[in-house]
Amino acid sequence: MKNPEKTETKASFAREHDMTVGEIGAANLRIQCRGINVYYGEKHAIHNVSLDIGRNEVIALIGPSGCGKSTFLRCLNRMNDTIVGCRVSGEITLDGQNIYDSNLDVVPLRAQVGMVFQKPNPFPKSIFENVAYGPRIHGLVASKAELEEIVEGSLRRAGLWDEVKDYLLHPGTGLSGGQQQRLCIARTIAVNPEVILMDEPCSALDPIATAKIEQLIDELRNHYTIAIVTHSMQQAARVSQRTAYFHLGKLIEVGDTAQIFTNPKHQLTEDYITGRFG
Amino acid sequence: MNKSKEDTYIRSEGARTHAIVRAGLAKRRAAEMRFRLYGLISIVVGLSFLVILFGNIFSHAWPAFQQTYVALDVKFDEAVLVPDARFDAGTQASADYPALLKRSLYALFPEVTDRQEKRSLYGLLSSGAAHEVQKRLQEKPDLLGKTERIWVPADDDVDMFTKGAMDRNAEEGDRRLADSQLAWLDKLRADGRLEKHFNMTFFTAGDSREPELAGVWGAVMGSFFTLLVTMTLSLPLGIATAVYLEEFAPRNRWTDIIEVNINNLAAVPSIVFGLLGLSVFINFFGLPRSSPMVGGLVLTLMTLPVIIIASRSALKSVPPSIREAALGVGASQMQTVFHHVLPLAMPGMLTGAIIGMARALGESAPLLMIGMVAFIVDIPGSMAEPSTVLPVQIYLWADSSERGFVERTSAAILVLMAFLILMNGLAVYLRKRFERRW
Amino acid sequence: MQKSTLIMLLLLFSTAAYYLGRTRSLRLVGGQIRNLHSLPAYYGYYVALWCGIPTLILFFLWTALEIPVVTQLVMADLPEELRSLPADRHSLLINDIKNAVSGHVAETKPELQAAVQHFIRLNSLGNWLLTGLASCVALGAAVFARSRIHKDQRARNEVEKIIRIFLVGSSLVAILTTVGIVLSVLFESIRFFELVPITQFLFGLEWSPQIAIRADQVASSGAFGAVPLFAGTLLISVIAMIVAVPIGLLSAIYLAEYASPRFRAVTKPLLEILAGIPTVVYGFFAALTVAPFIRGLGADFGLDVSSESALAAGLVMGIMIIPFVSSLSDDFINAVPQSLRDGAYALGATQSETIRKVVIPAALPGIVGGILLAASRAIGETMIVVMAAGLSANLTANPLEAVTTVTTQIVTLLVGDQEFDSPKTLAAFALGLVLFLVTLALNILALHIVRKYREQYE
Repeated sequence: MKNPEKTETKASFAREHDMTVGEIGAANLRIQCRGINVYYGEKHAIHNVSLDIGRNEVIALIGPSGCGKSTFLRCLNRMNDTIVGCRVSGEITLDGQNIYDSNLDVVPLRAQVGMVFQKPNPFPKSIFENVAYGPRIHGLVASKAELEEIVEGSLRRAGLWDEVKDYLLHPGTGLSGGQQQRLCIARTIAVNPEVILMDEPCSALDPIATAKIEQLIDELRNHYTIAIVTHSMQQAARVSQRTAYFHLGKLIEVGDTAQIFTNPKHQLTEDYITGRFG
Repeated sequence: MNKSKEDTYIRSEGARTHAIVRAGLAKRRAAEMRFRLYGLISIVVGLSFLVILFGNIFSHAWPAFQQTYVALDVKFDEAVLVPDARFDAGTQASADYPALLKRSLYALFPEVTDRQEKRSLYGLLSSGAAHEVQKRLQEKPDLLGKTERIWVPADDDVDMFTKGAMDRNAEEGDRRLADSQLAWLDKLRADGRLEKHFNMTFFTAGDSREPELAGVWGAVMGSFFTLLVTMTLSLPLGIATAVYLEEFAPRNRWTDIIEVNINNLAAVPSIVFGLLGLSVFINFFGLPRSSPMVGGLVLTLMTLPVIIIASRSALKSVPPSIREAALGVGASQMQTVFHHVLPLAMPGMLTGAIIGMARALGESAPLLMIGMVAFIVDIPGSMAEPSTVLPVQIYLWADSSERGFVERTSAAILVLMAFLILMNGLAVYLRKRFERRW
Repeated sequence: MQKSTLIMLLLLFSTAAYYLGRTRSLRLVGGQIRNLHSLPAYYGYYVALWCGIPTLILFFLWTALEIPVVTQLVMADLPEELRSLPADRHSLLINDIKNAVSGHVAETKPELQAAVQHFIRLNSLGNWLLTGLASCVALGAAVFARSRIHKDQRARNEVEKIIRIFLVGSSLVAILTTVGIVLSVLFESIRFFELVPITQFLFGLEWSPQIAIRADQVASSGAFGAVPLFAGTLLISVIAMIVAVPIGLLSAIYLAEYASPRFRAVTKPLLEILAGIPTVVYGFFAALTVAPFIRGLGADFGLDVSSESALAAGLVMGIMIIPFVSSLSDDFINAVPQSLRDGAYALGATQSETIRKVVIPAALPGIVGGILLAASRAIGETMIVVMAAGLSANLTANPLEAVTTVTTQIVTLLVGDQEFDSPKTLAAFALGLVLFLVTLALNILALHIVRKYREQYE
């Protein structure tokens, strides 16, 4: 921010013209979204959102319930395809490739852009099979030894290996909530994604489990691009480098996490940060 | 491994993964298409079974709604009917009507003189033809002494022949009509005396050994009385049980047993209920065999679980707030249930009851056990008279060897299906009309 | 007097009793309803129930006992030579008399004429007696109940108590039905196993019950080895399951996972029609169309197919069972949480991979339960096999031959005239017992699995 005055005028201009406040571009560009609109049947869920996500950064999407942050996240690996009556317009590119191109296959896209959900959702299979599922369906491994190697590596990176290494054949549903969520993260990274989307990954967990996941996110940031939706502002402040604030389907403000939490430019953002609503 | 090195490693792994995923894609997409196709094929197969079944029954049943009749100029000759000049109810019933028919038939074919030939000529008419003549005279007693053209039913073999179900080019020994009979039929047809009319008998008569005289009305009445018994018993019993279990019963072992028991009863083979009916209702209580009363009792026990399960889910769908509101203004629990919960749950209960009744209407196996398979000509007039029901009538006719019964069986199936569609349609209507989302 | 007229009369009495109670309660408080404990209608119901219930009980007791008592009386008056007949002839005699009484037989044997007249006389006497007695009880009870009414009487509570008893009683009917099934089938089976050793029945390889009805032969010379029946039932059920499980399961998967809502709304009810078609229709279809078709097809390939082949019956039974498998599987597939599917999609699984590797394994217990229920349906199905399967007990695994089944044999053994004590008819009950136990075991197992499965996701 070389010229604070200039940004200030830009912000007020944006406010007046109902545009996003702050810098939507990111260094080291990975995902670029332009003019995204999402409709659920008649309902217009996301209004004209443009946002970039850069390599090796954690971007937090915050905002009150129903503001469209989860919906936006699900656009990034086309999980919205599974919802009947959902339409997406606009352009999203991943490394320059339009992911809503009609010729594009969602299968490799989702292998590239993995997702972790709000509620831990391990398959009703063994821990080993949960992690092995992705590599198996994609044919990533030729031998059992290779598979075991991937499973161990993924569990290690998810920080779960030491806790479950003796129980690999036990059902994944038998783990505690926090362990289940880390298992789901291990399952996601087992297919070597480049981007990981996390939809309120800690909302169903207790504080200790949350702390572990946050630590994990911090470690994963070194290798992956991560977009995380969260309800907890403290969490956003702790784990992310950039923060985007959504309100009623619109992207209100985006900027460096420190700036958003200390010096929000938009009244709505400020109201939310200071806890006047949400 | 330092950080940046690991990062490069992972990034190169990512690229490798990506390449592998892309390489396997075509194969996986093909598998996807195949799997999807299997599903679609299964549905098509299932539906085509349905179409074949209905098409088959329809095509067989169609001819049964018509019946071949022969027109004869019958002279109600007093000399034949009242030889001793006394004509009352008694002599009217025992008069020699076949003689009238024979006389007018032989008059059409004067060249037939041989005894054997005459018999086979008369064989073209149904054995019930004389009854038609008698009925006509009863309707109009002043016909006595006069001549009238009457259409009488033809024999079932003739019927089959006129409907094209018999190959006239076959060897004489291979078909049921002789060459001479075919010649007579051709002459009758040329004279306009052989025609197909709408088969009213089928809808008004009881069972008969002769296809051309057999009808479904007896079976329809039997089904009606049976279902009447079933409904008057199973509806109150089923609803009362559901109300008790859902609204009053304490949650304990005993109600658990009742619940499991009801679920199991719903899946007991129907024939076992027939065994129960045979040994308990007939042998132990000595109720009349073959009667709609016993049939209704057996079907009651069979449909009770269906009605109970449907009624309970109807009661469950009434929100507790309604009960709390009623209890809150000081209604007793019984008043709450009868004034508020029950009326709201009624459409759902009735829907379940109708579906249960439809199942009972189509059921035949347990009724075979309690003797509702007897050959019964008379149309039952009460719940204690021996009778049969529609599905069992279908079973009986399906077993007959006469060609004419095949089409009548199919037609009876259509009648049964019409009732079933009507009942299920009513259930769907009720559900749509009164469905309420809380 | 006819029984139905009597019922109408009793209803009339009860209605009168209702007004009696109602007006009485109103008069007690001079029209001031608030001084009464309950609403006046409850006093009306109170008297009406007091009047109706005892008379109804009397009516049913009388009706149940009437025929045996009258029969006893008539038999006691029969001439000596008729009374001394052996037991089976004796029961035939009773039947003759009863038939004559109800007018089903045009002429009666002269020696029975007197007995028939006696029977009719006793019957009408009994009816008059019942009418008088019932009227007395109704009036007495109504007067008694009316005299008990006073203004603090808790009429509502008492009426509700009676309704509650009725509700409890209704829920016992289901229990009584099960008890009735078990007892009736069990007792006759025990009698059967006294005549034919149970081991012979369960493990014998030969089934020819028809021999045993000849008077000069005893039970032991008829063959009651039920293994061919079990094998036949198994063969036909297996064929049915081979048809129904893949078609039902795959259609359920397609409807639940792939089909558009509109396609589903049309197709699902259409498929379910298959379950609503009466089994007798399937039986007719199997015997008239499918069996000859398969026979002709076999002839084209030079195979000798029986006209009552197990294949035809099994195939048609399979068609009937398709909707059972598909609608149950559909329920369970829909019960699999969307989050599991999302998890698989997010890893980049295709839809079929998600279904095969995640959804189906997760729904498997439910699906297995559904298949077991369908199998129990197939085993207990009667009409299709009665009409399309054979009667001769073949011990074969060849689906092109005719086999017979447990249900077919029950029907053949019990339909038509029979003596109730012959091993032939008792054998039907033994078969019924086996059928009941096997299907019960399958149902309990299936319901247990299904319940376990439901708990997992609730």
